[in-house]
Amino acid sequence: MSAAVQHPALTIDHVTRRFGAVHAVHDASARFLPGTIHAVIGENGAGKSTLLGLVGGVSAPDEGTVLIHGRPLHPATPAEATRRGVGFVHQHFMLVEAFSALENIMLGNEHLRPFGRLDFVKARTAAHDAMRELDVELNLDAPVSSLSLGERQSLELLRVLARGATTILLDEPTAVLTPSQSTHLFASVRRLADRGACVVVVTHRLAEVVAHCDEVTVMRRGSVVMHSSIAQTTLHELTHAIMGAEPPPPLERPAAPSDAADALTLDGITIGTSPQGRASVESVTLHVPAGKIIGIAGVEGNGQTELVLAIAGLRKIDRGLLRLGEHDVTHDSAAKRRHAGLAVVHADRQRDGLLLDASVFDNLVLGDAGSKDEVSLVQRRIAKFGIVPADDSLPSRALSGGNQQKIVTARALDRELRAVVMAQPTRGVDLGAARAIHAAICDAAKAGAGVLIVSADLAELRAICHEVVVMHQGRIVARLPPETSEDTFGQAMLGAGAEGAP
Amino acid sequence: MTWADRGRGVLTPLTAVAAAILALNLLSFAFGQSPWSTLAAAAAGSWGTPYGVGQVLFKATPLLLAGIAVDVALRAGMFNIGVEGQLAVGSLAGALTALLMPAWLPAPIAVALVLASSAAAGGGWAAIAGAMRVRFGAHEVISTIMLNRIADALLAVLMTAFFALPGSVRTADIPSNTRIPRLQSLGLAFNGSAASLAFPLAVLVLAAVGFWLRKTRSGREVVWIGINEHACAAEGIPVGSRRMLAMTLSGAIAGLAAAGTVLGYKGYYEMGLGAGAGFGGIAVAFLGRGNPVGLLLAALLFGTLAQAGLAINAQVPKEAMGILEAVVIIAAALAGRAATSPQAPRRTAQTDGGKP
Repeated sequence: MSAAVQHPALTIDHVTRRFGAVHAVHDASARFLPGTIHAVIGENGAGKSTLLGLVGGVSAPDEGTVLIHGRPLHPATPAEATRRGVGFVHQHFMLVEAFSALENIMLGNEHLRPFGRLDFVKARTAAHDAMRELDVELNLDAPVSSLSLGERQSLELLRVLARGATTILLDEPTAVLTPSQSTHLFASVRRLADRGACVVVVTHRLAEVVAHCDEVTVMRRGSVVMHSSIAQTTLHELTHAIMGAEPPPPLERPAAPSDAADALTLDGITIGTSPQGRASVESVTLHVPAGKIIGIAGVEGNGQTELVLAIAGLRKIDRGLLRLGEHDVTHDSAAKRRHAGLAVVHADRQRDGLLLDASVFDNLVLGDAGSKDEVSLVQRRIAKFGIVPADDSLPSRALSGGNQQKIVTARALDRELRAVVMAQPTRGVDLGAARAIHAAICDAAKAGAGVLIVSADLAELRAICHEVVVMHQGRIVARLPPETSEDTFGQAMLGAGAEGAP
Repeated sequence: MTWADRGRGVLTPLTAVAAAILALNLLSFAFGQSPWSTLAAAAAGSWGTPYGVGQVLFKATPLLLAGIAVDVALRAGMFNIGVEGQLAVGSLAGALTALLMPAWLPAPIAVALVLASSAAAGGGWAAIAGAMRVRFGAHEVISTIMLNRIADALLAVLMTAFFALPGSVRTADIPSNTRIPRLQSLGLAFNGSAASLAFPLAVLVLAAVGFWLRKTRSGREVVWIGINEHACAAEGIPVGSRRMLAMTLSGAIAGLAAAGTVLGYKGYYEMGLGAGAGFGGIAVAFLGRGNPVGLLLAALLFGTLAQAGLAINAQVPKEAMGILEAVVIIAAALAGRAATSPQAPRRTAQTDGGKP
């Protein structure tokens, strides 16, 4: 944070990276100083992750240079980047679940004793040093599968520290963490920065940037459009720089109908057993009245995925009833439920929603194939949901995450509907697309559908839901109005303090 | 489709042909022959005479049908290795049905019934593997390979016990109203070649399957399931029954593969008839890459190789053609890899990293 003349730990000098004809990063320059937490923000597809990949040696720039402590990164390989002290924590956990925490730290960086035997003692000492540095406490012998998401994120940090990283790249480190876990993570990161590390954080969460970072670089369409210290900017300025326009006015959620009949009813639903031997969803009862938007908050992996699959008809409900309006659909097929007016958007859009190698046209008629006028159906959906590019012959793989999500949303909402269930409706989607999707959800509610939204993004739920329930370990542990404070939500997400470990 | 895509599309077959010519040259050298004379003999023996052309079509017919069969299953995301067995079961069923046909039945009806029985038998045999996949999740590669072996043994037992003429491994001759006419009998000058109406019929099957996969609801859904079954299941598409349909259809087409040989050439079924065409079909489907024209060209290429092999038998042992076919397949595989993995990653740059 010192303002004195400092040599940057990392310099990006007029860097361009193309994928085919697309400029993922275009003529970008930035400097990252040691001892700072430096945020890189921007919409989806703005080039943030690509930029991080260039620094981490994942890909080589087409033009320009990446300099680490003043020397170009050459050859541009992950191994060379690691050797030069760059530690990359990827967006998705790169951990071997069946291995212990210690084994994961050692993986790829093994200390050896004679005859190639692993030196666990030395590795353990190094790990303890790193843990002290981060101020985290981990059971090094526990298998990764037993660690919480917050612990796993700490483990990822330990891994790069054990390799002696001084420049640390974090790609969306808090995407799957609760607010308190995020705060804890940033506290660890701050300790690293105070010891002189250069930390680069790519994130979607502006609040975190303002609360925890020192410097910020904003990217838009592959270019660096703004660079500032946090102290000299405002949230509004950042939003403006990200979007390249005035942010839209806040969305008005539709007025809640007073006494509407239930559109979707979950009555004591219990589903399956997890590997640990308990039900992944246990006695969940929830009423979604027509015209209302109900949210399900909670740390991921607390039964939400199973619940959504079961509502869709893709997973067996072991106990309890599912009603769509008056009708009991507990034992109906997915097709029957869909026909009866249920639409479901799953969390993993690329797995459960899209045919990546098929055209946008095919993706938009999936499930409605054979209807009389497919061409006008597709054109209506493209226009109504603002899918760009509006060329329905492109493979859906070629579209941005936001537009892929619009395809899935269009298919779900552009129908006669009784109830809608959407999981992570705006995950990895830029602000503009997220706004359009939220508007479409509100429209569906206004048109009389009961809407259930499962999201890891608390801000989203608080903005558009009439009521938010919190799931923890397969149960509903709280029902809260959206105005409830983030702290209270955070507590509930951890089981109302029943399990304190972040 | 950009020009670059088109370029990659023709790259695979061109590489395959180039590899075949190169391998032929090397083999000629190895046997002390002038490469040019071998090549000339191969060309003259296949596409050089009306008879040669007819023989190429004759040999391409089972390969084309087997290729379509493999392709249909592949589109639904399944690998049907069992064409070999389905072909054998279908051929025997066809021959036996033909033997039951009364002499007064008009030829078109008799032939249609015989073909239907071949398709039904082949389809039924494949449906076993389809059902095991859909119902129990048994992988079709394993089950179809095993069904090949069962078909092999079962047919041997049935033939020796019931259907073979004494002291032989063939059935009795089928009645003349169940025979598929040769092309030359229709006034086409193929000078005694074995090419029959089966070839145009196979092309008709190719067109029909192409239409089904592109223009009908069930066909398109089959293709979508092959791309991503999870998304299809989530939108209420009956994944299991569509898979079952695709596998059965694949087997039915496989069951027809050797009909041209039985009904159009030999006039009886004998053990081992059509053997190898099922595996040739895998190569055809692979080289044709789900494109009807590609499938046709691939079948003709392998048909040409088979016929050319006989033509150059005097100069190079005909086993050399086996080597050549393998070289073509390997070259196609390499060219296919090169075409589908260009420098840039498959994911486009517009998506921001790997959001799930």
